[in-house]
Amino acid sequence: MSASSRGDQIGKRIAAFPAMSGVALDLLALAGSPVVTVQQIEGLLKRDPGLTANLLKLANSAYFGLPSKVGSVHQAVMLLGLKRLAQMVVAACTSAMLGSGVPGYELPEGELWRHSLAVSVAARGLARELKLDAADEIFTAGLLHDVGKLILGQFVKEAYPLIEREVALGLTFERAEERVLGVDHAAIGAQILCKWSLPENIVQAVRWHHAPEASERTDTMLDVVHVANMLCLMMGVGMGREGLCHEPSPVVTRRLGLEPFHLEKVASQTLQWASELSQSLAVA
Amino acid sequence: MNITVMVGDMRTGRNGDLLVTHALGSCLGLMVFDPVAQVGGLLHAMLPLSSINPEKAKANPAMFVDTGVPLLFKALYAMGAVKERLTVKAAGCGNPMGKNEIFKIGERNYTVLRKLLWKNTILLKAENVGGTASRTIHFEVDSGTVWLSSNGTKGPL
Repeated sequence: MSASSRGDQIGKRIAAFPAMSGVALDLLALAGSPVVTVQQIEGLLKRDPGLTANLLKLANSAYFGLPSKVGSVHQAVMLLGLKRLAQMVVAACTSAMLGSGVPGYELPEGELWRHSLAVSVAARGLARELKLDAADEIFTAGLLHDVGKLILGQFVKEAYPLIEREVALGLTFERAEERVLGVDHAAIGAQILCKWSLPENIVQAVRWHHAPEASERTDTMLDVVHVANMLCLMMGVGMGREGLCHEPSPVVTRRLGLEPFHLEKVASQTLQWASELSQSLAVA
Repeated sequence: MNITVMVGDMRTGRNGDLLVTHALGSCLGLMVFDPVAQVGGLLHAMLPLSSINPEKAKANPAMFVDTGVPLLFKALYAMGAVKERLTVKAAGCGNPMGKNEIFKIGERNYTVLRKLLWKNTILLKAENVGGTASRTIHFEVDSGTVWLSSNGTKGPL
């Protein structure tokens, strides 16, 4: 396939990619607003009862460890806070999409979702462990960082021998994607998120999750997602055909003050956190 | 019976069982077999030392190499295995690319394993460790054959 026709095909797939729920987008926008009432949130969520049901299931998952059972949107806002609630709505909206199998990367059904959740909770855990002030959107950035794989997978599959040759020469997997296909999964993911009109800091964290040093702005959230992604792959969660052919950034390590015990402490808890959350959504 | 060993888990089997573990990255996969007693066990340990999270180690010793390895050997001894007859094979312990030492959990897992085996005068019969590849193990408990799948190829370890 010629480079230009491949580029066209990828562009078409991005244009045809499913839209994000309008309720979730409105809620994310509201979450950033200083004046918002619980009534507005309730009004929004009434538009989508299925989503509300999933949201309440998530709020009641063991991961949050809330003292009492959450039975209403009102209670969920009170107990979780609006920003966290908005992140959970995004999770409830994207679980089915991220739950599908991904060819090329050889991720069986459910594995990308498991990886996405693990990176989200590991990122939150790392920020806590490192006592960092990262944006609340870190959960969503972690959750959506690999969404580009859903489009690029098919193209990776077709060009696998060429990509493998580049990797054998010492390139990281995402650099090999870029060299062979003209684009990597992080860039495609950022384009999807732009199309969804997600906040800029989330788009940037997804865009540069493999190359945080290449981002124009430094952002703790981006740095932490970069580390959390590497850590989850090392644990084998969502590690497909590319194995560990990625390079953790030494600059980020220094910037975060990261030590082995931070990584290992968070690793020891990540799978439990992820399973507590995923049980409540039960995808695949 | 096919028995899947999850991350941070240890399972044993008898004659006819197949112990399977998927996607070893930096985790250690340790396979131990007694051909006479026809028992085998597979450990999929994630982290080198239990001191990082003692509470977790108490609930789940298989998560750590220093507590998981003794757990595996003791379980096999309880099933009739004898130390002198055991064959021990290791796989996994991979690392990401680059020289970032902080991320070398795989290397630390392997170091702790070697120290433990050395202290207990146990030799590794085979190993396939390090590098960046994802590894999957199928361990036939009757023959003791350990099949290693990685990068689209499969062969005995």
